[in-house]
Amino acid sequence: MATLRSKDRAVLEPFAEVDPAKSAGLPPSAPLTIRSLDVSSASDSKTLVYVGTGGGKIVLLSVDPSSPSSSSPSPTLATGNGRDSPASIASSAEGVEFLRLASVGSRVVESILVLSEIGRILVLSGGSLFIVDSVLSQPVRKIGVVKDVTAVAKRIPCSEGSGLDFMGDGASKGEILSSGKKLLMKLGVGIKANGSGPPSSEPPREGRTSCFVAAAVAKKLVLIELMLSGSVDNDSDNNGVSVLSKEIQGIDGAKAMAWLGDSIIVGTLEGYTLFSVVTGKCTPIFTLPESSGPPRLKPLWRSKDVLLLVDNVGIVVNSSGQPVGGSFVFRQPPDSVADMSSYVVVTGNAGIEIHRRKTGACVQSVSLAKHGSGSLIVANDDQGSGEVVVIATPYKVICFRKVSAEEQIKSLLRKKKFTEAICLVEELESDGEMTKDMLSFVHAQVGFLLLFDLRFEDAVNHFLLSETMQPSEIFPFIMRDPNRWSQLVPRNRYWGLHPPPAPLEEVIDNGLMAIQRAMFLKKAGVDTTVDEDFLLNPPSRADLLESAIRNIIRYLHVCRNKVLLPPIKEGVDTLLMYLYRSLDLVDDMEKLASSQNSCIVEELEALLDDSGHLRTLAFLYASKEMSSKALAIWCVLARNYAKGLWKNSTPSSEGDSLDISLGSTSGQKIAAAEASKILQESSDQDLILEHLGWIADIDQELAVAVLTSEKRINQLLPEKVLAAIDSEKAELRQRYLQWLIEDQDCEDSQYHTLYAVSLAKSVMEAVYMDSRNEDKNYRDIDEMDNSSVEARNSHNHLVREKLQLFLQASDLYDPEEVLDVIEESELWLEKAILYRKMGQENIVLQILALKLEDSEAAEQYCAEIGRDDAYIQLLDLYLDPQNGKEPMFTAAVRLLHNHGESLDPLQVLEKLSPDMPLQLASDTILRMLRARVHHHREGQIVHNLSRAINLDARLTRLEERSRHVQLNDESICDSCRARLGTKLFVMYPDDSVVCYRCYRNQGDSSSSSANGGRRSLKKGIIFKPGWLVSR
Amino acid sequence: MAGAGNKIRNAKLVLLGDVGTGKSSLVLRFVKGQFVEFQESTIGAAFFSQTLAVNDETVKFEIWDTAGQERYHSLAPMYYRGAAAAVVVYDITNAASFTRAKKWVQELQAQGNPNTIMALAGNKADLLDARQVSAEEAQTYAQENGLFFMETSAKTAINVNDIFYEIAKRLLQGQPAAQNPQGMTLNQRPTERLVNASSCCS
Ligand SMILES: Nc1nc2c(ncn2[C@@H]2O[C@H](COP(=O)(O)OP(=O)(O)O)[C@@H](O)[C@H]2O)c(=O)[nH]1
Ligand SMILES: [Mg+2]
Repeated sequence: MATLRSKDRAVLEPFAEVDPAKSAGLPPSAPLTIRSLDVSSASDSKTLVYVGTGGGKIVLLSVDPSSPSSSSPSPTLATGNGRDSPASIASSAEGVEFLRLASVGSRVVESILVLSEIGRILVLSGGSLFIVDSVLSQPVRKIGVVKDVTAVAKRIPCSEGSGLDFMGDGASKGEILSSGKKLLMKLGVGIKANGSGPPSSEPPREGRTSCFVAAAVAKKLVLIELMLSGSVDNDSDNNGVSVLSKEIQGIDGAKAMAWLGDSIIVGTLEGYTLFSVVTGKCTPIFTLPESSGPPRLKPLWRSKDVLLLVDNVGIVVNSSGQPVGGSFVFRQPPDSVADMSSYVVVTGNAGIEIHRRKTGACVQSVSLAKHGSGSLIVANDDQGSGEVVVIATPYKVICFRKVSAEEQIKSLLRKKKFTEAICLVEELESDGEMTKDMLSFVHAQVGFLLLFDLRFEDAVNHFLLSETMQPSEIFPFIMRDPNRWSQLVPRNRYWGLHPPPAPLEEVIDNGLMAIQRAMFLKKAGVDTTVDEDFLLNPPSRADLLESAIRNIIRYLHVCRNKVLLPPIKEGVDTLLMYLYRSLDLVDDMEKLASSQNSCIVEELEALLDDSGHLRTLAFLYASKEMSSKALAIWCVLARNYAKGLWKNSTPSSEGDSLDISLGSTSGQKIAAAEASKILQESSDQDLILEHLGWIADIDQELAVAVLTSEKRINQLLPEKVLAAIDSEKAELRQRYLQWLIEDQDCEDSQYHTLYAVSLAKSVMEAVYMDSRNEDKNYRDIDEMDNSSVEARNSHNHLVREKLQLFLQASDLYDPEEVLDVIEESELWLEKAILYRKMGQENIVLQILALKLEDSEAAEQYCAEIGRDDAYIQLLDLYLDPQNGKEPMFTAAVRLLHNHGESLDPLQVLEKLSPDMPLQLASDTILRMLRARVHHHREGQIVHNLSRAINLDARLTRLEERSRHVQLNDESICDSCRARLGTKLFVMYPDDSVVCYRCYRNQGDSSSSSANGGRRSLKKGIIFKPGWLVSR
Repeated sequence: MAGAGNKIRNAKLVLLGDVGTGKSSLVLRFVKGQFVEFQESTIGAAFFSQTLAVNDETVKFEIWDTAGQERYHSLAPMYYRGAAAAVVVYDITNAASFTRAKKWVQELQAQGNPNTIMALAGNKADLLDARQVSAEEAQTYAQENGLFFMETSAKTAINVNDIFYEIAKRLLQGQPAAQNPQGMTLNQRPTERLVNASSCCS
């Protein structure tokens, strides 16, 4: 992850510098050294700075942070190789005003605390505490209750802490007062008032405000409540402040202190201890390692924590002494610390460090080495905004102000430090100083800057990271204004750091010019902000343009998946197509065009047509349901392919239309397939029939698919379709008719006849072709490869089979019409079927018996007819075939053998011709007669066998009836389980006994077996072995 | 997510052990899933937080990764005081670090909260060739002192999530949901609780 180096940052910028001695008008003979500092912001434009000196003086300065910086963002301040950088502030007292000088004696002013609650300043000097009003207008008063003070701390009210939340932030002043009293009362014994008697005897006066401070004195702590008295003269000793105090013994050697709510954190040479003002208990926090210097700590007002220092490490603990977050690691042991909203500012030997509160990372460092050695003191108004940070060197006061987040980012962007800028935004966002929208805003701004820097990939990466940027903001870069979408483009200029949008070509031309200029300047030794890479390897215009387009495509592509307003969606898709086209990305164009899209056809039509992207255009038309335009294109394309591709296609065998080699005509095929796809959905009959022809020419299957599609809403009219199908295209016609009849269950006899006739014609043609081929010399056939001969044969065979099946299956066609077609042919089976439909039994028999010589089929047919005279007819045909054909005696004999019994011998004898050889005739007659006798005897046997079974059955019945059963009192009905007693009962053959009632209810169809199963006597007849007559 | 049974329990966890045993590396692995060969030495303490789901409960670890330098030893109690769990880390390739780890355990037993769950992690388990502390020895020691022990490797991630998961499990076992509705710091185990309860009611 890129990190923001401290040298890139300028969280603080100096705006004023002042020598307090000079500004106070002190003569150079009486120099003063700065020993302590505090800051209080009186208003937005006025911040008071209290400077405590080594000689017991307090200088009050007023600074105006809104004044223009004397050396606006000092560039040397924030630079340097990651190391500290010297701050150079033009020595200027502008914006700084000297207000007053006061004296607290001659001893060092060790610490100044602004008590903003009561509008007073507390000063620690020479072990005594002094109090003075905030503008030093009145005399300084000493607080007499304490002396030899080593450290002083102001109480920071905490809402959390013990149950005694006595000084919550939101508490009213009265509450603060009373709870404060409670605190002091709680803390101890006698409340000692300074001056006029014990305050407990005085009722608390309304509207009084107070604050608490703790002072460390020798072996004890003194807790002091400072209260504004109503009138100045009442406690004139203390500037109108009355003082309550309470001593706590046993805390020794405090060098530094912080008071958070109920806890006072005390730093001694040994370490840090937490003293609870509620329980009075002391808990060690940690001890200081050897030779680590005196304890230093800084209460952090905002978070109600305290920063404890050990060496160069800062540890934050809360009011219960628990650590909070990780440690700060400073570059040098800090002398002084200030708390800014999300930063901690520390000063060390010669410089300032600014660290993030959240991560502890150092974000800026400023060297003040040129101001000489000596410790630096830092202070700000941590109860206010804290954005004015004052640093004091021993002799100078330098005022810094916080650079606004926006300015920090802008300044980085101006320097083209884009990564750093983004880093900063992310950091500010995680610190809660910046909104997510702002992050998006900056990403977009950075993107535009990069775009004008010709770094298109990076630019788009940033665009994609911006959640607020609108895709339409990119439109003016693609299509010159004004255009269809101009009105939609938000006029968002961001921070105005980049030129207004212009078409990419222009952006690139300008960028290239800038690069050239920069190269020229560089030769002349002038620094520029142009990318080093570009200076070293100047990019070509074409490369840049391609990169620009590819990246914008990438951007639009992502945008497609967002929820967009319809007009924006249209813009995105149309411009995407526009860009694809400019790079001739045919696949992408076609993919976009053929998928769900929002392209505006009118914007693209002419363009695509001109550049010959006809397929794309056709897809586009189709996706917009402009079918006829799409079809027109496919039709033209198919024609063009046909012309263009014949040349380089490998010639397939001439005249073999069924075997189209795929490769040679794939373009055509695709055109036809696409057209077919459109037509399959379409209900526009005219359109369909208009395009059917060329599609069928290319691929009959596709044409069939069009005609037989079930996707369309309104079906086509068969008569129109049939009229439109080219008479040459018999197969198409047949396939359509077949679909009508078989799939659509069409029962119109007209179409049945048409279908039959068409099939019959095809068969006739095939037969004719065959016969011609056979007539022809065999050389031709040899030349044809075997497979194609086979293919054709099998095709012919299939058609014939189809015809036969249909003729058999349908009763709706007109057989005579079909017969007309095949009259002349040898299609005997077909004819037989047809005659049969017409009921011409004799002709059918003739065909079957004589033409096809299929005596089995003939006999079968006789059986179907079902009359005995049919057999006689057949026999007649066999014996007298006529047309000079020899009688078919074998067949006749077979017939007599098989069906002799159903033939009348007399009739047979009559039929026998006198020409019949006697041997055959006698054989025939003998067989017939024998068959009859045999048949008779067989009958007798069956009769006798049946009688035997009957007898057997009767015997068994008798046995059954003579069976005995013994019943006693316990005997029950197997069905209803009732006692039988003397009731009438029934016994089944399986020995189960039921009462008569059950028998009646169940009829005699079932018995009740012991295991509850019931068996129907009728269904599962139980045969006892004896019943069966074995043959 | 915010089901009644899915409260987030905060648990303060501290890592203790000699410098260079891999405490920071273990945390980095657990929190960010990363490992760096040249981990900067920790100064003071680093803070991380990471949540871990155990069954239908979530434990939010507040992890203090301490420095381990002798100079800042005095800071350690601040971190382990009130910790729900402590992971004492040694380096299996460094016998001295194991001795140091035992010292830490002793200190925790003497100064720390008796309810703190203690884990012993023998880190750098990927460096088997350089092993100086056997797993058996450490295991025996851990058993005798009521710690649970795992050999880990921040580098290969072996057992890193496991050790934290195990801690979370033990924390939750010791702290049934009903008794901790506010999601406060987990630092008590039920056995002790019973003892405490009887003494506080008497
Ligand atoms: N091989 C190996 N090296 C490790 C492992 N864990 C830490 N290290 C390395 O040991 C060194 C010290 O690690 P660090 O995390 O700083 O230890 P810490 O002082 O305890 O925080 C670093 O160089 C790490 O890369 C580990 O599991 N295997
Ligand atoms: Mg570490």
